[in-house]
Amino acid sequence: MNAGDRLPPLEIPITRTLIVAGAIASRDYQDVHHDPEPARQKGSPDIFMNILTTNGLVGRYITDHFGPRAELRRVAIRLGAPNHPGDTMVLTGTVEEVDGDLVTVRVVGANGIGKHVTGTVTVRVPG
Amino acid sequence: MSLRGRDGLGGRAAITGIGATEFSKDSGRSELRLAVEAVHAALADAGLTPADVDGMVTFTMDTSPEITVAQAAGIGELSFFSRIHYGGGAACATVQQAALAIATGVADVVVCYRAFNERSGRRFGSGVRHREPSAEGAALGWALPFGLLTPASWVAMAAQRYLHTYGLTPEAFGHVAVVDRKYAATNPAAYFHGRPITLADHAASRWIAEPLRLLDCCQETDGGQALVVTSVERARDLPHPPAVIAAAAQGAGRAQEQMTSFYRDDLTGLPETAVVARQLWRTSGLAPADIDVGILYDHFTPFVLMQLEEFGFCAPGEAPDFVAKERLPLNTHGGQLGEAYLHGMNGVAEAVRQIRGTAVNPVPGAERVLVTAGTGVPTSGLVLTADPQGRTRSTTGPPLHL
Amino acid sequence: MNGEPEVHEEFEARLKAYEGRPAAATGVGRDPVNEPMIRHWCEAMGDTNPAYTGPNAIAPPTMLQAWTMAGLSRRPERTAAYDELLGLLDESGHHAVVATDCEQEYLRPLRPGDEITFDSVIESVSERKTTKLGPGYFVTTRTDIRAGGELAGTHRFRILKYAPARRPKDPKDRKDPKDPKNRKDPKDRKAPEERRPRPVVNRDNAGFWEGVARHELLIQRCTGCGTLRFPWLPGCNSCGSLEWDTVEASGEGTVYSYVVMHHPPFPTFAPPYAVGLIELAEGVRIISNVVGVPYDKVRIGMPVRLEFRRYDEELVLPVFQGVTR
Repeated sequence: MNAGDRLPPLEIPITRTLIVAGAIASRDYQDVHHDPEPARQKGSPDIFMNILTTNGLVGRYITDHFGPRAELRRVAIRLGAPNHPGDTMVLTGTVEEVDGDLVTVRVVGANGIGKHVTGTVTVRVPG
Repeated sequence: MSLRGRDGLGGRAAITGIGATEFSKDSGRSELRLAVEAVHAALADAGLTPADVDGMVTFTMDTSPEITVAQAAGIGELSFFSRIHYGGGAACATVQQAALAIATGVADVVVCYRAFNERSGRRFGSGVRHREPSAEGAALGWALPFGLLTPASWVAMAAQRYLHTYGLTPEAFGHVAVVDRKYAATNPAAYFHGRPITLADHAASRWIAEPLRLLDCCQETDGGQALVVTSVERARDLPHPPAVIAAAAQGAGRAQEQMTSFYRDDLTGLPETAVVARQLWRTSGLAPADIDVGILYDHFTPFVLMQLEEFGFCAPGEAPDFVAKERLPLNTHGGQLGEAYLHGMNGVAEAVRQIRGTAVNPVPGAERVLVTAGTGVPTSGLVLTADPQGRTRSTTGPPLHL
Repeated sequence: MNGEPEVHEEFEARLKAYEGRPAAATGVGRDPVNEPMIRHWCEAMGDTNPAYTGPNAIAPPTMLQAWTMAGLSRRPERTAAYDELLGLLDESGHHAVVATDCEQEYLRPLRPGDEITFDSVIESVSERKTTKLGPGYFVTTRTDIRAGGELAGTHRFRILKYAPARRPKDPKDRKDPKDPKNRKDPKDRKAPEERRPRPVVNRDNAGFWEGVARHELLIQRCTGCGTLRFPWLPGCNSCGSLEWDTVEASGEGTVYSYVVMHHPPFPTFAPPYAVGLIELAEGVRIISNVVGVPYDKVRIGMPVRLEFRRYDEELVLPVFQGVTR
């Protein structure tokens, strides 16, 4: 594995179910993550995914790729275009740095309206 | 006849059966089905059965491969299959191919066929547009939607079964890679010249299609390789010592497919290689112990092991040990893993160099070389030998049937 | 509001005064780290990482914040300072909130039974920013999460408190999501190269795929000699007969062989993944996917059971669920 290597993309259909299930599993009962009307009143066309779910999906993307022995050390993400129901997010990753068994991956999750998430993940991959 | 003289083919073979489907503007069935029906009709006319057939010839343009027509027509192993290019120009040449095979004993009963839905399917006169998928496409189509998409993955399916059956680990494949790369390391023409590997390197290389690792898979190459064939008599007047074609054979197994023969047998061997081996040993009068060098097709390491077993160099499941102990000089140019992947034609050239004594990794006294072709597909093989008249040999081996 | 910079400066100075003050003090996780919440999380995320199950399970590290969440309960840990800060922002019209950044460092894995405590500090409050959502302020907090008193991870979290820029659209101006023209089905939008390769269907095997559409896996049977055959072909390899009918597979089978695909990556398949050669109870074999089992847990001889899965609006495939014992 080398800097510049690309991870295979992971496509995640953004269903209403995923958004609500993610919000509840992360104990986030903010109405914008499950109730369309309050979401609209706050300027959003529909409910949208909460950051904890995005964080979980980014973590899953990395450990799916590097396998069950990989240990997440740091996940830093920034949200952009929201994930609304009916969209699809495609996560892609590029190895930014390999330092011994620590690998830093730049992750981008793009949806139909732009970049939902950009971030970096540091993961320890036992040799 | 040849361009310069009378040939020996005339009067040696005969057409004994003819058969066809109805001729229509819309057959209502697949091209494969039409081919099978025509083959059945011709065999019935000849008073023969599918079980009698051991050779098939068609056009390169035909969408129904010989092996697939055989599979659907009740035909078993094939020792001869051939195709002629150039559309309608192939028609009589299919019969010539059959006659060559019959006259030389390469096959006993050869069926020539051509079948298509030229009118209702793609019309030659209407330009390219959608056409019904061919039998060849359909055969591969059973694997693709599930993500089994690469040659490595098709080989890996059988390789997994081999390991399971004989209680081995993927490291068993490493010996082939190590031997190939050892020879490549001292071959200046090899891509991996000067870069030998160890078993540990093999074991550390990344997975491609588990249980195949990177170092189980040959590189891909740009290049060309050509060979010239003449009579042995003529060869004796030319500059180099001839590499005599002591035996040449083709083989297709029952229910053969191209790389995806997952539905037959136990997946631990290569039935098509067994068809080739039987013919080569019988025609050459040689046995595994007589072979000085083996050039065994090695696009993927597991199939080298299975070839050694099918040819009888060792018992089933013992090939990893056989290779580890280097009981037979193997792929002395570095093979396709080490020298170049040229669809095996560079291996034929290496066999010639061993017999000439000009190989970069010469095997002293090499006079009998086994060369094989692509595995997991209908395949072929050669036994090349030194010219018995060209050298003073002190051999106690069996006579060569030239 | 853009014409009143001095007002913002004064307001911003009030906000800045909260930097460095605690946001949450001596917070206690509502539940200890526990298997059910881990499982619910993994289900929601589609995360099948075996590290999160079994006797030595750890919690997904990205759950770090979830253990601190109050849910619908009160938040006694929240400080007056943080409440005041959010109140100031609410009163100034910045009542909407959206999370924008999350940075987590994991120092040690959390395991079922770990008791969680946490403290949080207001790290920074930004100056006023104009965003697509509307003008607002970024508030960054940092939380230290402890398990059994030992620091297990840190969590930096940034929210945007903003004044929504647009009034919600009049409902009748919104596109009717029930109208097929307006429906954004992600499966409809997949580019061809992102979809699984199509089955290769011709007249010789169309009956198989018609069966799949009805959720039946059909095996050809030669009516001449009774031999079952797969893959589908117009004639029998045993006897040459062109006459056949079909039998429906029971759905029971075992893994006869398998491959784990690692390289190269394909847009529609996410390596590593396992492709199985399934031997059906009827004795024929079929290539398929083994589902419900991690790729590295597929084994020769594993019992499997047929199911049908839809992969996009056109494609249904027969796949095999691993039957773990």
